[in-house]
Amino acid sequence: MSIKVFVPAPLRPYCGGASELGISAPSVRAALDEIERTHPSLYRNVCDETGAVRRHVNLFVNTAHVRDRDGLDTALMPGDVLTILPAVSGG
Amino acid sequence: MPERVILSIGTRKGLFVAEGAKTRKSFALRGPFGTGVAVYATLIDNRGTPRLYASSCNAFFGMKVLRSTDLGKTFKETKSAPAFPKDDGRALANIWSIEPGTAKQDLWCGVEPASLFRSADGGDSWEMVQGISNHEHARKWQPGAGGLCMHTILRDGNRVHLGISTGGHYLSEDGGQTFKASNKGVGAGFSPDPYPEFGQCVHKIAGHKDAPGRLYMQNHGGWGEWDGPGGRRPDIGVLRSDDHGKSWRSIAKGLPSDFGFALSVHPHDADTLYVLPLEPATRTCPGGQPAVWRSEDGGESWRKLSKGLPKKQTFFTVQRDAMDIDELKTPALYFGTTTGQLWMGREGGEEWECLFDSLPPIHCLKVAVV
Repeated sequence: MSIKVFVPAPLRPYCGGASELGISAPSVRAALDEIERTHPSLYRNVCDETGAVRRHVNLFVNTAHVRDRDGLDTALMPGDVLTILPAVSGG
Repeated sequence: MPERVILSIGTRKGLFVAEGAKTRKSFALRGPFGTGVAVYATLIDNRGTPRLYASSCNAFFGMKVLRSTDLGKTFKETKSAPAFPKDDGRALANIWSIEPGTAKQDLWCGVEPASLFRSADGGDSWEMVQGISNHEHARKWQPGAGGLCMHTILRDGNRVHLGISTGGHYLSEDGGQTFKASNKGVGAGFSPDPYPEFGQCVHKIAGHKDAPGRLYMQNHGGWGEWDGPGGRRPDIGVLRSDDHGKSWRSIAKGLPSDFGFALSVHPHDADTLYVLPLEPATRTCPGGQPAVWRSEDGGESWRKLSKGLPKKQTFFTVQRDAMDIDELKTPALYFGTTTGQLWMGREGGEEWECLFDSLPPIHCLKVAVV
């Protein structure tokens, strides 16, 4: 399942400056596993040691937040875009 | 190059570095580094070519360790930060202390949730220290208001002292392989047992290289009026040990409050120490009048040092690692406030001046002469 992963600017130094990664994965969980394998530093910014997505990081499949779909089990279709975004928060 | 005084200042919005001559007449400020990200621990490692380290507590993307090899002109991330093993079940929430180890590149790092890590390569790789991180008490420790943090690491040969909030004081006598709770005389105000084996909310521990058996502790005081189970616990906040931390006794008599966070020891006199008392309810200066209090007799008596500090309507907090003292012949004391002021007290705190008055809230501060 060939998809694109959009990488936000603050995380691009952890994947050689790339803004997009092309990977093959049938689900969000599998996509994260692939990122962990190919770009471990990037993965560590997205997920903590337990494998949980960090509290202030949001994952979208196309325009839908994964929490509104099936979480990490959300299925991916060819051409989908998995977007990694820091949550909007301040203080 | 003449000796310079370097201040490494960890704030809520990144790390700042201030540099001045030994006269300490003025300091040039640079930064912030790790922009926008809170820094709770910093170290000026003066062994060989000086290196500056800072934790970078990124709320979005996790913990980083920053390192500078040019006296804080530039910083780069180390290759990795401490991390729990994948099957441990805990995730790193913050880095609270970075201290030098034995060999030149050795570092020790205290984290939240309270655990200890070591690096043998200047922070590029880290290994968890099992003896304390998986201590039989570790899963029973509770977070204090600042989180469950290991904030103090003091080394003296094979002895390693750790301060954990709230866990108490732990002592290793085998170089950090094994640890025992060592809290005899350390009170807790928030438990029915006034003197539990462990679980105290230790705020800071400091010692002196020439008096290794002597330790001072700022504990969570403010329980003088407690009328619940176990009775009153006056003066449990400022303590001293003369037996390598095996037992502790109060030295709080004479202070306006036994609550506080920061504590420093004079670099050339183990009998001289400094605390910054705060009101327990607000964690701010008693009566809105900030002052450092100094003892020159190991805590038997105290003197207020406030010349040059505001006289009224001042309600900042000075956090546990936000006070330090330089090692010049006549040392100056420094503290940073949650209102973003950095104060310097010449002559060991006799006369204060504000070096910077509008920094972000200051979490930690280290000074070194390099």
